[in-house]
Amino acid sequence: MLPIDAAAHSSRWRRRHPLDKACLGLGLTILAISLPAWPGAPLVGIAALVVLLGPAGVPPRRLWRAWRVPLGFCVTGALPLLFAVGGADGFVSFAPSGPVIAGQLLARTSAASLGVLLFAFTTPLSDVLPRLVRAKVPPAVVDVALVTYRMSFLLLDSMAQVRQAQAARLGHTTRGAAWRSLAGLGATTFVRAFDRAARLQDGLAGRGYDGTLRVLVPQTTMSRRFLAATAALLVALTVLTLVLERFLP
Amino acid sequence: MHIAEGYLPPLHAVAWGAASAPFVVHGVRALTREVKAHPESTLLLGASGAFTFVLSALKIPSVTGSCSHPTGTGLGAILFRPPIMAVLGTITLLFQALLLAHGGLTTLGANAFSMAVVGPWAGYASYCLLRRFGAPLMACVFVGAFAADLSTYCMTSVQLALAFPDPDSGFLGALGKFGGIFAVTQVPLAVSEGLLTVLVMRLLTQSSRGELTRLGVLVPRRADAGSGTENNTNKGAVTG
Repeated sequence: MLPIDAAAHSSRWRRRHPLDKACLGLGLTILAISLPAWPGAPLVGIAALVVLLGPAGVPPRRLWRAWRVPLGFCVTGALPLLFAVGGADGFVSFAPSGPVIAGQLLARTSAASLGVLLFAFTTPLSDVLPRLVRAKVPPAVVDVALVTYRMSFLLLDSMAQVRQAQAARLGHTTRGAAWRSLAGLGATTFVRAFDRAARLQDGLAGRGYDGTLRVLVPQTTMSRRFLAATAALLVALTVLTLVLERFLP
Repeated sequence: MHIAEGYLPPLHAVAWGAASAPFVVHGVRALTREVKAHPESTLLLGASGAFTFVLSALKIPSVTGSCSHPTGTGLGAILFRPPIMAVLGTITLLFQALLLAHGGLTTLGANAFSMAVVGPWAGYASYCLLRRFGAPLMACVFVGAFAADLSTYCMTSVQLALAFPDPDSGFLGALGKFGGIFAVTQVPLAVSEGLLTVLVMRLLTQSSRGELTRLGVLVPRRADAGSGTENNTNKGAVTG
């Protein structure tokens, strides 16, 4: 199981309705990209961080391990904005407005990532996917997504085992061996995926499979208090940003 | 290659979502038709989606000594066709956003457009074009994977340049800037992905001939077609 999903399954908010958490997490994300980056993004980021580490109870180390991935992308993505090309100062020159734009982008992407992580760290995908049918997503697509989700972990495990076996046979010692091992790994994964699908099909056919995958979804109800608190937080962040924008440089 | 969460302005995020929607809807219709006609395809398509997802966990050795991961869009498009890849690619991007914190939800439309639409279609078009001219299968596979990988990065450069035009030279300058940065790392990576895809396909033609025939990548041999069987064999030339 992947770390974020494992954390979501043992989250303090595991039994909350996914829509409650979507309103909060994705609401923060939308605010992060919609409000003025200064001071909106830092405010949204701090709010998301407080909710993640406080009420949601996400361990800081796990959060950092997950957050540093998008942070890395944000930093590398912001670097090109520091330079301008084809101007009067030479083919490549320092852009005077670059640091401000890069800083705003960094703040916005960091805060937006925290909003999505809030949802991801508290809501397992297995709780979300079956409910997508109610959101008018075609059942066939939801079924394929469910099989993809469940089979991904099996294939990742299988890949790790194959990679370990290849390493034990000195399959990564030279560049040529590494390429051969990599190709073998990809092909083996394909074969195993299809083999597993065929065996699943046989098993389901024996149980009267009619084309619909029926899974038990934990019954939860939406909380009015939670939604009201979410709305209050989002409105407060919006108002605070618009007010502070007038007073701050 | 994934555009990070929050990187695009809201208007761009919505516009790219709208641009990718027709392709994804077309793919959803194709997938729904397929599942209605053959209910057992659900499992096969799910397995294909999982295969696409774990492909991104493969680390390709890079020329600089570092490593990166393949997009998998070329191989996916050749095996499963671009409309299906539009759906599987979007599902994979959603999973990557929520399970790995790669990409994002507000940038899902933009990422889907480059990785689940442009990449697969460019790769599949190159593959089909070369097949039509009678090129060997492995050459077609290499070009298909190379084109899919490179076109994905080109499209991402366009998306980034539109969102952040250069202060001096505008969109074209930004396109050159982002494209130039990508080119240093991504042209070697596209070659690497092409080579890896060829190696994978070579192994698959030896070990999974039946599956490749079922997917339409290989033409059934006369003996198989006559007897109506699709056996996995380790011998025989590729006829597809």
